[in-house]
Formats: sequence, C-alpha cells, structure tokens
Amino acid sequence: MNAIEIKQLQRIFKTHTGVIKRTAREVRAVEDVSLEIQEGELFGLLGPNGAGKTTTVKMLATLLIPSAGSASVKGFDVVKQADEVRRRIGFIFGGERGLYWRLTGIDNLRYFASLYGIDPDVSKKRIPYLLEMVGLKGRGDEFVGGYSRGMKQRLHVARTLLHDPDVLFLDEPTIGLDPVGARDFRQVILDLQSEKKSILLTTHYMFEADALCDRIAVIDHGRIIALDTPGGLKQHVADLSVVEVETFGASEAIIGGLRALPFVDALSVEETEKHQLLLVQTKRGAEAVPDILAALDGQRLGRVIVREPTLEDAYIRLVGGAV
Amino acid sequence: MRIFTNNLRLFWDGTLLSYRALFHWLRPAQYVASKVFMPLAQMFFFVFLGTFATSAANAGFYIIGNAIQITAVSGIFGVTMSVGGERETGTLPYLFGTPANRLVTFFGRAFMHVLDGMLGVVIAFGWGVILLGLDLSHTNLAALGLTIAVTTLSTCGLGLLMGCLSLITVNVMFVNNFVYFLLLIFSGANVPLADLPNWMQVVSYALPLTRGIAAARSLVAGAPLADVAPLLWAELGVGLVYGLIGYFLFSWFEFEAKRRGTLEVF
Ligand SMILES: Nc1ncnc2c1ncn2[C@@H]1O[C@H](COP(=O)(O)OP(=O)(O)OP(=O)(O)O)[C@@H](O)[C@H]1O
Ligand SMILES: [Mg+2]
Repeated sequence: MNAIEIKQLQRIFKTHTGVIKRTAREVRAVEDVSLEIQEGELFGLLGPNGAGKTTTVKMLATLLIPSAGSASVKGFDVVKQADEVRRRIGFIFGGERGLYWRLTGIDNLRYFASLYGIDPDVSKKRIPYLLEMVGLKGRGDEFVGGYSRGMKQRLHVARTLLHDPDVLFLDEPTIGLDPVGARDFRQVILDLQSEKKSILLTTHYMFEADALCDRIAVIDHGRIIALDTPGGLKQHVADLSVVEVETFGASEAIIGGLRALPFVDALSVEETEKHQLLLVQTKRGAEAVPDILAALDGQRLGRVIVREPTLEDAYIRLVGGAV
Repeated sequence: MRIFTNNLRLFWDGTLLSYRALFHWLRPAQYVASKVFMPLAQMFFFVFLGTFATSAANAGFYIIGNAIQITAVSGIFGVTMSVGGERETGTLPYLFGTPANRLVTFFGRAFMHVLDGMLGVVIAFGWGVILLGLDLSHTNLAALGLTIAVTTLSTCGLGLLMGCLSLITVNVMFVNNFVYFLLLIFSGANVPLADLPNWMQVVSYALPLTRGIAAARSLVAGAPLADVAPLLWAELGVGLVYGLIGYFLFSWFEFEAKRRGTLEVF
C-alpha cells in the first residue's frame, strides 16, 4: 500500500476584491496533481512561490476540501474518512503561529495530547522524550510567548509527533531557523525516516531536498512538471555547466542581452545587497566564459567560476527563473 | 469505555488549559481586579443611578439584577474569548487537524467560565450584603445558589454562540460589548420588564438571564424554590438552545472554512 495517493487533485479558490464594487476572482492553486508516495519514503515537493505546495499539503492534512480529484493517506480518503487520516498524520506549517503563547511548552503539548486522545500515562513519558528530541529539554516550563522563533518551531515538531503518526507533512519546516538549528532539524527528519515514517517535505532549500529526499516532485502553476530522484533530476542538466559571474549593478538590459545569447540555456540572478550573482547554464562549459564576459563588457565584475550543475540548477532549468 | 474516558479527559484538560490559554488571568492581580472590583463598580453605578431615579426602596431590585447579570462577564466575555480567541492564536488549523470530538472540545471551552461566573455572582451578592444593605434573611440560600448556577450555565450557552459568531465575523470585542450591554437592559436587570415596549419584552424572554434574575428576586423576597422552578427550567432550556445553535454553527464554521479556504484568514 502507498502511504499517500493523490489522483488528479485540484483546488480552486474564489476570492473577492474591492469593498463596494466586489469582483470575484478565481485562483487555480492546484490544477492537476497526481502522485504516489510509498511507505517510508521521504518525498520532496519543490516549486516557486504560489506553485500550490501548501495548498496540496492542506488538502492532504484534511484542512481544505479539494475542488476535484481525490487523495488518500494510508488508504483513507482525506475527505470522507478525515478522522481516520487525522489519527495517522502529523503536520507543520513553518512559522511560529499555531501555539498557545500563554501556556508553557509542556502545557501546549498536554493540550494537544488530550485532543489526540493520548493516554496520560503515555503522554507523561512521551512529552519529556519529545522535548529532549527537539532540543527543548529544560525549557518546557517556560511560556511559549517567550520562546524564540526557532524554539516555537521545535515545539511544533514535538506537537506533531505526540501521537506517533505514520505520515508527516512538513511544509517549509526549516524556514527561519539558524544554520545549526536547520542542520539539527534535518537530522531529526532523517531519524524520523529511519523509524519508517513516510514524509512529505516542502522546502525552498535545494541542498536540503538533495540531501534528504528519496524522490522529488517539482510543481509549478499547480501542475507537476518533473518527478524523479535527486540524481535523476540532476541528469536533466548533466550536459550543462554553470558559469557563476559576480556583478555589481548590472542593468536589466545587460542581463537580458546575456540571456538572449544562443549558447545560454538558462540564466538566473541572485541579488544580494552588494552584488548580483548571475548563474549561467550552458553546454559549452568553460569555453563560454570569454563570450559571457564580452556580453558584460564595461561592467564591474567580481569572481567568475565554472562548476558542475547542482539540483538547484536542474530546478532553475525546470521552472525557468530565480528560486 | 476508552472513548468515554478519553472524552472526559479532553473535556477536563481542554477546559483548564484552554481557559488559561485563551483567557487573561495569567496575572493574578488582573484576575482579582476583574473578579472583585468590576462587579462592585457595576453594582454601584446602577444601584445609585436606579435609586436616584426611582426611590431608595428599590435598591434591592438593582442589587439583585446586577449581581446576577455579572455572570455575563464570564459567560459572554470569557466564553467568547475561549472560542473566538483561536483565530488570534492561529491554532485553528492545528485544532481542526486533530480527531478530537468537537462537541466535547466545544462545550469544554465554557466549563471553567461557568465556575468563574458563579464565583463572580457570589462576590457581587457579597458586595450587595456588605455595602448596599441587601437583606438575605428570608432567602432560601440553596435555591439562590441553584439559580446562580442555572443562570450562569444558560449565559455561557449564549457565550458559546457568540464565540462562534466572533470566529466568523472576526470581531470579538465588538460582539462582546454589544451583547453585554444588550443584556444590561433586556434582561430586566435595571428596568422592570413590564415597563419595556412589547417587542423588547419578546426579545427579553428569548435571552438568558431574564428568568434567572426574576427567579432570584422572588427568592430574595422569600419565595420557596417550587415557585421559581418553572423559571429555572425555562432558563436552562434557553441556554441549551443557544449552546446547541452555537455548536451547530461551530461545525458549520469548520466545514465552511475548509470548503472556502478561510481557516487562516484573520
Ligand atoms: N486560502 C486561500 N484563499 C485564496 N487563495 C489562496 C488561498 N491559499 C492559497 N491561495 C493561492 O493559491 C496559490 C498557491 O498557494 P500556495 O500557498 O499553495 O503556494 P506555495 O506553493 O505553498 O507557495 P510558497 O512557496 O510561497 O509557500 C497562490 O496563488 C495563493 O495566493
Ligand atoms: Mg507554501
């Protein structure tokens, strides 16, 4: 049996804008998604902002009713057998909301334990165990209002593991965590996977998806545009090299000119405060460098390197823009 | 059996923890102030205003009316916060993502406020006796206690409904104040019902508190429990109707929020 089965799932939102003259608008958040996620699989869902990742996760977590299509978790339909699904899933939506700030960490967990109908004898042992697991040992007596963002996210992880769910939905769980916290968290995810849990992870960090996921689906405009192992996705760009060029204040026109060059397969720009990093994908490898530099003639340049493509480059080629 | 004990625990834990999570007695001083001085202020205001406008002989009318009405502080403000506050905390998706029995979760939210509300009324009666000369020597105190309990329960029923409305309309404070002030006049706490226009009397009898206040006045005047029993049954019934409407609204809200995708809109 697959842990998760999604068949032609669709979700359309109807929203209204304007106060006096109300105009209805349709947002087709999830257009057509079909997927099967196996038992024990760690599955990544990648895609640009607004691609429909969170919407998909919400439907699987029984928090949103699909407009069309169906989905089941552990063989239970997410609409018709929602309670059965809820007993078997845990979910986190990255961020710090969704906890009772006026309660201590432990009391938050106690409350959710009672909502999940967990025996107090069980939760008495499980709560300290989970607090230790997420690195909140000794902080459970403090009010959650005084927790840092990362601590709140850790508490969310403990909350969602209270009833020992088989299937986990983690929507951008490492967002806003410091590098060490994020690394700890990735370790927690791997530990959970070794406990044979099936995990659906969404993230914008490509290296994270590369390091963790067994398979990855890239979703854009509510449709799956690629589905493969990280290695398989990288094969899409195996024939390419990436030339990274650091520029300072290159204009749209200059960048557009570069993008139009025949040997440039894809170009994305990472902007930071001080400089821009142009990521040029090309089949010509190092040979392309003189032509690239010629196209940037007159610009102030920093370092230039040529490297093998990563999952991020495969992703950029697929969705065709900046991450 | 397991389901029963689970739900009992959900009720109890939910009741205690949600009370602390969503209501404001984190600081004891704040709690004491709202419990002890707020009733006093309301009693003073209406008793002196009322006796000034009518006659000193009517003090008891205002004391009893407002002492019972104090239960709405918990029943309306408290309960509404305990339901409607979920929006503010952003916990609705996590709450609705659990398989918890919604009926138990929902009514559990009100329970602490029932106890809290009764305490408030007792304190208010205390002020009435100590500072305003209320005479309880002819009163069947057990019957008065029962009246307080029943009226508090029924007011909490309305509070549950209001809590749901505040989830839907996203304006807790407005709903709270509106209903609280409505009750001050419609419940007959400060105006004899017979002096209200007919349409207002119809509304009065559709609200909790009205019959409870009438029962309390009779009891203080020396009536036996049997005389006010019909009032108390009706009071309980009114509260139950509101509570049930609230519950159905809560279920409807959950369904609609999932259908329209408005669970996190706040
Ligand atoms: N409750 C809602 N009501 C109306 N529109 C919505 C709602 N939720 C999502 N949308 C719209 O649906 C689309 C997909 O949103 P979704 O949150 O699924 O994207 P996402 O892939 O999770 O993006 P991100 O990476 O930014 O988290 C967006 O255009 C969004 O505005
Ligand atoms: Mg998202």
